[in-house]
Amino acid sequence: MKKDYFITIGRQLGSGGRIIGEKLAAQLGISFYDKELIQIASQESGLGKEYFEQADEKKSYSIFGGLFGLRGSLADEPFSTYYLNDETLFKIQSDVIRKLADKGSCLFVGRCADYVLSENPRCLNIYISADMDDRIKRIAELHKMTAEKARDYIEKADKKRAGYYNYFSNKVWGEAESYHLCVNSSVLGIDETITLIRHFAEKRFSL
Amino acid sequence: MVQKGSPLALGNESVWSLLLQYAIPSVIAMTAMSLYNITDSIFIGHGVGALAISGLAISFPLMNLSAAFGTLVGVGASALMSLRLGQKDYSTANKILGNVLVLNLILGLSYTVVVLLFLDQILIFFGASSETLPYARDFMTIITLGNVVTHMYFGLNALMRATGNPKRSMYATILSVIINVILAPLFIFGFKWGIRGAALATVIAQTSMLIWQFSYFRNKENYIHFQNGSFRLKRKIVTDSMSIGMAPFLMNTAGSIIIIVINQNLIKHGGDLAVGAYGIINRVAALFAMVVFGLNQGMQPIAGYNFGAKQFDRVNTVLKLTILLASAVMTVGFLICEIFPHAVASAFTTEEDLIDIVVPGLHIVMIFFPIIGFQMVASTFFQSIGMPGKAIFMSLTRQVLFLLPCLLILPSYFGVKGVWYSMPAADLLSSIIATYLLISQYRKSYIKQ
Repeated sequence: MKKDYFITIGRQLGSGGRIIGEKLAAQLGISFYDKELIQIASQESGLGKEYFEQADEKKSYSIFGGLFGLRGSLADEPFSTYYLNDETLFKIQSDVIRKLADKGSCLFVGRCADYVLSENPRCLNIYISADMDDRIKRIAELHKMTAEKARDYIEKADKKRAGYYNYFSNKVWGEAESYHLCVNSSVLGIDETITLIRHFAEKRFSL
Repeated sequence: MVQKGSPLALGNESVWSLLLQYAIPSVIAMTAMSLYNITDSIFIGHGVGALAISGLAISFPLMNLSAAFGTLVGVGASALMSLRLGQKDYSTANKILGNVLVLNLILGLSYTVVVLLFLDQILIFFGASSETLPYARDFMTIITLGNVVTHMYFGLNALMRATGNPKRSMYATILSVIINVILAPLFIFGFKWGIRGAALATVIAQTSMLIWQFSYFRNKENYIHFQNGSFRLKRKIVTDSMSIGMAPFLMNTAGSIIIIVINQNLIKHGGDLAVGAYGIINRVAALFAMVVFGLNQGMQPIAGYNFGAKQFDRVNTVLKLTILLASAVMTVGFLICEIFPHAVASAFTTEEDLIDIVVPGLHIVMIFFPIIGFQMVASTFFQSIGMPGKAIFMSLTRQVLFLLPCLLILPSYFGVKGVWYSMPAADLLSSIIATYLLISQYRKSYIKQ
């Protein structure tokens, strides 16, 4: 059991983070989880998948969001818990992450997995960014949209992911001290970036 | 097997036993709170006099406002606390505890300073007359001086619940009520300290409980305890908890404004005693409403989970059951107040002039009580199934959208009775809205299914 190790990947939209994670996991022969987490969390909790999708990697915690997100109460009643709020859904999802981690080595993309597994010493946290032009190109191709639209989409997604991460993890998204390795995938390209991270992981875990 | 306390239990166990299991602690805590308010009014009514009850009623909005500032910090911080504890992130959780204490200290002190500086002006604006001002001033000076304690006490109590100690937090609530119920009559009847005695009893009760909570949070064996360095305010914790607490803060503030408008109308059309009468009616109505709030809290996780798991039959069962229980509670209140209004009023005062205003007031205000339970449950229901927008809308309709215009129009035609009429009118209108929203939601869920 002690040999198990974990890699988490935080990534900008369009940085190639998902594909890097997927290929890296395949090369290392460990399980890979990205959106799959939602399906598992839904099965484990019995709650509909759409609730996890709705709450997935976004969170507004502005004053306005707080106002219409109405946490707590209308009267003087003490704070009460209820299901279907983002906090509960996050808790369910992070329990799933920990459970999967108990089963063996794996790699998680997104969903604050680095924070969720922060108690675990054998966890390596990677952040992947990329040049804006590359991100726009990738997203425009993937979603068949204009560069203009892709840029807009990316900016919104960055905001959402940052909001989600900063709210749930108490760390700052994309800031070097939140991770062990931050790398720009535009520099070496996807494949070489994978090799770089793999070497880093092999050194760290003496694979 | 399904583990006890796991979310899956919410989808399997009998709805009846789940509701009892979840609702009873909240109902007890809620009832304790309102019993405290009621006994305080009774002691003041009998020990000090009818005008003192009016003075007390004048200070309701000020106390509500203080509570609102408490929720601004407390509600958000306990939400953050349970979030961090869910991830076993104890270091951040401890920082939240330290920050809450410091924030409450700052907010509590600023509130005290501002209110004490302008106390007379505020109370006069709220509807105090030369007759009632001395009572309101005496009472509020002591309550406001103890405001820091009140803030820290409620803040820590909320965190106590969030740290998985709901029982201890409930005991604190009940104990503070008991201390108050012992001290208040001693101070009022024994020492003849008047309305000041009531205020002092409140502050002492809360101080003792605060000390008790301090002893808990000082114990290093608890995961969450006071730590050096955790008291430095963290920008992130402060803004996060305040933005979560903003909604309940604004709701409470809206509630305070409504009471100010009510009091101002009553003083204009009926004088000091009418304000006192509202003080009594408000306490009685709140007793039953608080029980329903307790039921609502019990319903939330059950309705929320099963709605998310698409077990709509169970959602319907718990909703119906809660509505049934809530309506039963409100109907009991209705019957007591409609059949024995004189006895209810006499519990608070022996002065016939005041009783004569309370009795017709109770008759009118409680007239739609049997149906308003439905509205209250429906509003919480929407919150628990992840539609807070509708919940806010429903609460606003009752408190602001319907009540405020009624209060601005009806008293000009019917005087004091106009104020009383406004409340059932708002109850009826908002119940109609609630029925409409609930039925359309019901249809939607079933079509989806």
